[in-house]
Formats: sequence, structure tokens, C-alpha cells
Amino acid sequence: MSTIFYLIGIGLFVGVAAWFLFIWAVKSGQFDDPEAPKYRMLDDDDEPTKPAKNKRP
Amino acid sequence: MPGSEKSGPERVLCSHCLQETSRASSIIVEINGESKAFCCKGCLGVYELIHSNSLDAFYNQRCDWQPGPPAIEVKLQASAFSDTVTITGNEHRIELLLSGIRCASCVWLIEKFLMKIDGLLLVRVNYATHKATITWSGEKVSLETILHAIRSIGYLPHRCHSIGTADLFVQEKQDLLLRFGTAGFFSMQLMLFTTALYAGFFEGIEDRYRLAFQLISWALATPVLFYSGYPFLSSALRSLRRMTLNMDVLVALGSMSAYCYSIAMIFYGGEMFFDTASMIITFILLGRFLEAGSRLKAGNSIAELIELQPHDALLVSESGVTTMVPVAAVQNGEMIEIIPGDRIPLDGRVVDGEAEVNEAMLTGESNPVVKKPGSDVFAGSFSMNGRLRIRVTGNTGNTLLAQIIRTVEDAQARKAPIQGIADKTAGYFVPATIVLALATFLFWKLSSASTVTALMNAVSVLVIACPCALGLATPLAILVGTTTAGKRGILVKGGDIFETVSKITTVLLDKTGTITTGKPSMTNLLDYDLSPSFMQHVASLESASEHPTGRSLVAAWQGERLTVTQFRATTGRGVSGVMEGNLWRAGSRAFIEESGVQIESEQHSHIATLEAEGKTVVIVACGDRLAGVIGMIDDLRPDALPLIAELRKKGLALMMLTGDNRGVATYIAARCGITDVQSCLGPLEKAAMIRALKEKGECVMMVGDGINDAPALTEADIGITLGHASGIALESASVAILKDDLMLINTLIKSSSRCFSIIRQNLVWAFSYNLIALPLAMSGVLHPIISAMLMVVSSLVVVSNSLRLKKI
Repeated sequence: MSTIFYLIGIGLFVGVAAWFLFIWAVKSGQFDDPEAPKYRMLDDDDEPTKPAKNKRP
Repeated sequence: MPGSEKSGPERVLCSHCLQETSRASSIIVEINGESKAFCCKGCLGVYELIHSNSLDAFYNQRCDWQPGPPAIEVKLQASAFSDTVTITGNEHRIELLLSGIRCASCVWLIEKFLMKIDGLLLVRVNYATHKATITWSGEKVSLETILHAIRSIGYLPHRCHSIGTADLFVQEKQDLLLRFGTAGFFSMQLMLFTTALYAGFFEGIEDRYRLAFQLISWALATPVLFYSGYPFLSSALRSLRRMTLNMDVLVALGSMSAYCYSIAMIFYGGEMFFDTASMIITFILLGRFLEAGSRLKAGNSIAELIELQPHDALLVSESGVTTMVPVAAVQNGEMIEIIPGDRIPLDGRVVDGEAEVNEAMLTGESNPVVKKPGSDVFAGSFSMNGRLRIRVTGNTGNTLLAQIIRTVEDAQARKAPIQGIADKTAGYFVPATIVLALATFLFWKLSSASTVTALMNAVSVLVIACPCALGLATPLAILVGTTTAGKRGILVKGGDIFETVSKITTVLLDKTGTITTGKPSMTNLLDYDLSPSFMQHVASLESASEHPTGRSLVAAWQGERLTVTQFRATTGRGVSGVMEGNLWRAGSRAFIEESGVQIESEQHSHIATLEAEGKTVVIVACGDRLAGVIGMIDDLRPDALPLIAELRKKGLALMMLTGDNRGVATYIAARCGITDVQSCLGPLEKAAMIRALKEKGECVMMVGDGINDAPALTEADIGITLGHASGIALESASVAILKDDLMLINTLIKSSSRCFSIIRQNLVWAFSYNLIALPLAMSGVLHPIISAMLMVVSSLVVVSNSLRLKKI
């Protein structure tokens, strides 16, 4: 019947892990700026050409 | 739209900044087989840099086709920024405020461009605040290189100043979020074990499991109480030490008694209530968190205003060299330059350049205003296009923006009288609640209930009585009310003002500038020669005159002007000059009579009629013959009549006050339907009139604008200034309407009575909620967790009811 203690241990571990994740998220400012990400999504991916090496016209 | 933009044969648009320049002065360069034009070397440099880094996509992506800032030369010194750098190990970090960001692709460009520099670790530009956070490795790259890189693509880095009010709010919210999140995670875990224990209570449970679950619960509840509940505990302790009990005492007492009792019960084998203790904290934190959010939204108005004040200015020296200096270093009378897209740092007068300036944050007027040499510009507004050079008037402390910020801050510190009731009540409330909780405990204990029941009921009483809603009822409604009014350009200088406005009985209106436009216009034209060129002569003659009457006459003739020689102006009386060989005169009756022109009796009667109608009469003479008579009147503002109708509908008594003569006053009063007129009043007499009315028990609102209204505005219960009123009028009024629109007075009256009724609703709700819930808790019907939930609901009702004020 000691399985239940393992399960409790795992449960607590997952819970505390999620809590740490939350603390990290708040501390690293994930909740700070709700404005920019929606624009960043539109801009970021689309880089039309590969970086050229100092091609002066 | 890359490539050389042609707009007319001789004008081209710069490929980088889209400013228009002449083809002759532009720099034409062949790039990839296409010829492109640039307005200056700076823009060419930026274009080449962006192009050589293969970031041309910027030119396709930018969504804003307004011309942007040309890449002007400004000296940047890294030493000016070095104290804002935070260094951790080899990692350097700086926050910069960037000017010149106009759309999301600017953010894209800056991030992409900077990341190409070797040694840069992270670049994030916040689009909403224009703040860039840059992290770099100190060994590989210097701050100077980064600043120059930003500069080289046409953006201007500014120092990002110490923590402002907004940051403090954000920090507070982040702290609450962390505490609330922690409480949430642990309470969830805790509930799992508590459910098991409850099930065990009914179905039976092995002792070793019970003990294990209880110990785990204890471990889980502890951080909730002492970390998440820390704000309550410390505030309660502080207030106990000062012997002024606040509501946090109730929360702390409630949760701590449940917690301590539960610990004791682990050892004595009774039931435990860690869940109660931690849920109380969690729910109340949720309430605080939501409240902080809405306060953040409302409080943002001040923060937004403060953010409007730029910290640097581009000083233009005598020799025309621009240098970046802190705003505080700019002296009155010096010249500064404003580049397009930049906020104007100081009040001043335009000396060179033309631009559309957005003054929305100051006046609520969303259409940009065109500023030309001679027009006044205000700190905090921003130039949308075009470069301006302005001569600074005053310093940072006395700009219109600074005055507005001071006013709003003062306003929020002032309390409405109705709030006094709530404060006083809360003072008695806490000790009374503690006594009630004790009584509840003793009653249940003595009437042979278990200690558990007695304690739970007492905790319930403590939690439910917490008068959060009561404390929030007034200030939040006033905060939301002032903010909403402020957005429409109505600056309310205190919470008490809403209450007073909703009580006014009499409205006094100043004539000039309030009911009338303050600019006379032509109404009658008696032309004795019947010559079509009469107005042309008058307008040409007056075109050199500075007098407002003269200006209106000039405006009345749009056609060609005649040349005037030997022009002479006699201040306040009239002008004379020679046109087409004849001597023309225009001016008051005395001026014409003195110059020896004969006025016949028929003409005398015309003039008398016009004067009786309250008009200003300008007599025009050609040679020694009378050519014509012009009647002018300072006419009603178009929005005066609707306002007066609205005020009358509300049953308010109306009265007109003016310093003008009786004829003008009665004429205007009759036009707008006001019967009660007081004319020929000096500033102090106006104030005396108001005092007399107040003694009769009237609650008086005074609307005026000039310096001469200042004493009256102070004397009245509510003084309102309109438009860009003079500084002293702004100081003495309790409400300043920054937009030139009379109907906003009506909006003000409407929104104050709404605000006041919402405050009343809030108070009634908060009081009656406590009146109903307290007996329920004492009688043992409510479990402490339910009480905590109810309490949050009650605060939320007050918060959301107050937020209704956002919509007028």
C-alpha cells in the first residue's frame, strides 16, 4: 500500500514543478507586455533573403 | 514602394524617410540597377546600411507611409548612458527609450539589425512603450557601438529614466500575481488532501494515512499563509502597533486562528481547517489582484501623462548645431528642434517649419492641428510630420502638461465628503467586528456546541465583515469618473467636484468667449457709394491693422488687395491710408468726427440704431466724404444655444455676466434667451455677485475664460474654464475643459450625476451586504470559505459597478 505515497510524491512534484514554471514566467516578464507579441507574430518569420556579405552597390 | 518616388517633375520623395525634396538638391544613387533619390547623406547612409544587411524587407513591410524622420546628425555620448547599464558578470543590460518608432516594422528592423552585431545577446523592443531592452556581452561589444548602430538606422536612443509611477503599478501587480499564483497552486494541492480527509471523516481512514495527509496539508498551507498572506500579516501587525485597526487585521485574525487551531488539532486528533485558512487568503488575493488591474487601468492616465514628457531636447545653438541635452538644461528663450514623430519637450512658439501636431492627449481633439511659424506648441503633443524649430517659453515645471499633471494628482488626493462617512464607519467597524466574533465564539461554545463549530462561526464573522467593498466604493468610482472625463478633455480637479456639480442650482455664464465667439464678425454693411469695391478698400486698409475688429474686416474680403501707402494707425480708434490716390479712413465715430468728415443726420440715425443693437460700428470715409458704415457683432457661438437649452431642461437657473456695456449684453442675452443679465461688471463685482447668490443658498457654477474671470471662478462652488484658457484661470477653476466645446459642460453635468449615483449605489450595496451577511455568519449558516468567496464577490460588484462609468 505504499504505492499511494509514491503517487502523492509524484503529484506534489508535478504541482511544485508547475509552480516553479509559473514563477519563472512571471519573473521573466511573460505577463508584462500583452501588446507586442501579436505584432511580432506578423513580422518575425518573414525574412525574404539570406544575409549577404557586405554587398555594396 | 521602394524606388524613387516621383511626385511632380521637380519633386521627389526620399527613398528612406519619404520626405519630399526637390530633384536638384537630392542625391541620386544607382542601387541594384534602380535609381533612388535621397534627401540627404544621412538617409542614403541608412538605406545603404539596411540594404547591405539584406533588411530591405523593411521598405516593403512598413505600413506607415507618412514621411518619417530624416537621419539627422546628432552627437551621442555613451558616457551619458553608462549609469543606466546594469552589469551582471559579463552580461550588460540597458533599457533605452527610442524615438522614431512609428510602426511594427520599425521594431522588426531594430531587432534584426542589432542582432547582427556580434556580441549582442538579446534585443527586445516594446512596441507599446517604445522601450528597448538590450543585453550584450561586455567583452565583445561596447555600448557606444550599440548606440551608434541604433542611430545609424535612423532612430534616436534616449535615456530611460528611473522608475515612474507606471512601473511601480506594474511591479505591484506582478508581486500580487506571484503571491496569488502561489496561493492558487498550493491551495489546489491542499484541496486534494483535504477532500481525502473529508472522505476519511465519513468513511473511515487508516490513522497513518490521516497523519500523513494532515502533515502534508500543514506543509502546503504554510507558504500560502506566510508568503502569499504576508501583505495582510505585516499590514495587520503594523496597524496593531499603531493601534488603528484596519481591515487586514480581520483577514489576518481569521486565517491565523484557523491555521493555529488546525496545528493544535494534528496533535490532539481533531478535525483541521488548513483549507479554510489558505482559501481565505487565496480569494482575498484574487480580489486584490483584479482590483489592482482596474486601478492600473485607471491610474494609467497620470502615468500616461507623465510618459508624455520627453527627457531630452535637441538644442539648436546660435550657429545652427543641434546637440542632445536634458530638458531641464534648456533655458527660456532658447531654440530647440523637433524631428517628425517626436514628442515636443517644452512649451514654445514655432519659429521655423510647418507640421501637423497631434494634441490629442492634452485636448482630446483627435484631429491633428497644423502648426506654422507663430503658433504655440505644447509639451507632450507630438509632431506627426515635418520638422519644427521652436523658441522655448518657460521651463519643464510650468508647461501646460506639467500643470495638468499637478492638477490631476491633486485631484486624486482630494476626498469627496461622502467618502468621509465610509472612512469613519470603517474605523469603528473593525473593533466592533472583533467584539462580535468573540461574542459569537463564546455564545456557540457556551451553548454546548463543539469548539470547532464555535471557532468556524467566529472566523466566518471576521472574514465576512471585512469592509473592503466599503473602502472601495467611493475612491474607485471617482478615479474612473475623473479618468473618463479626462479622456474627453474635461479636467476635473477633485473627487468632491463631482458631488458638488450634481448639486448645482444656478449657472452663470461669462459673455465674451463663452456665449460669444470672442471674435467680432460683420453683420451690417451700409455702403453709401454703392461701389462694388467698397469692401476691397476696407479690407486692404485694415490688412495692416493688428486690432481684432480690423482682422475680421480683412477676413470679409477674399479677393485681391490694393496697395496702401502712408498707413497710420491710431491705437484703439482707427486707421488711415492712401489708396488709388484717395485718403481713406476707417474707425470709431469719434475718430472720423475729429478728422473733419461730415456725418449727416440720416447717417447718424443709422449709427445710433446699430449701436442700440449692441454692435461695434466702424465708419469708413473716403477723402472728406462718408463712404459707408459697418456694423460688427461678437456673435453667439454655434454651440451656445444647444447648451443653454440643455441646461434649461435640467431646471437650472441661468444668468449672464459681462463686463461689456448694457446694449451688447441685452442683445446677446435676448438672442440666447437668457433673461437675467448683469452688465458692466468688473472682476471683483462678478465675484461679489456670486457671493450674494451663495448667501441666498444657491449652488453656483461659473463658466468663464479670461483673467478677469479668475476671482469669480474661485468664488463659485464650481468654476469652469474653457478652451486654452489663460494660466491663472486654469489655476482658479475647479474644472478645466481643454477642448473648445461648450457641450462638454453638459457632458460634465451628466457624468457627475452618474458618478455620484454610482457612488451611492456602491455604498448602499456595501452596507446592506454587511448588514445581511453578518447575522448569517453569527448564526452559523456560513462556512468561512463561503464567507471569503462572498466577500470577494461583494468587492467585485463594487469594482464592476464603478467601471460602468467608463461608458458615458
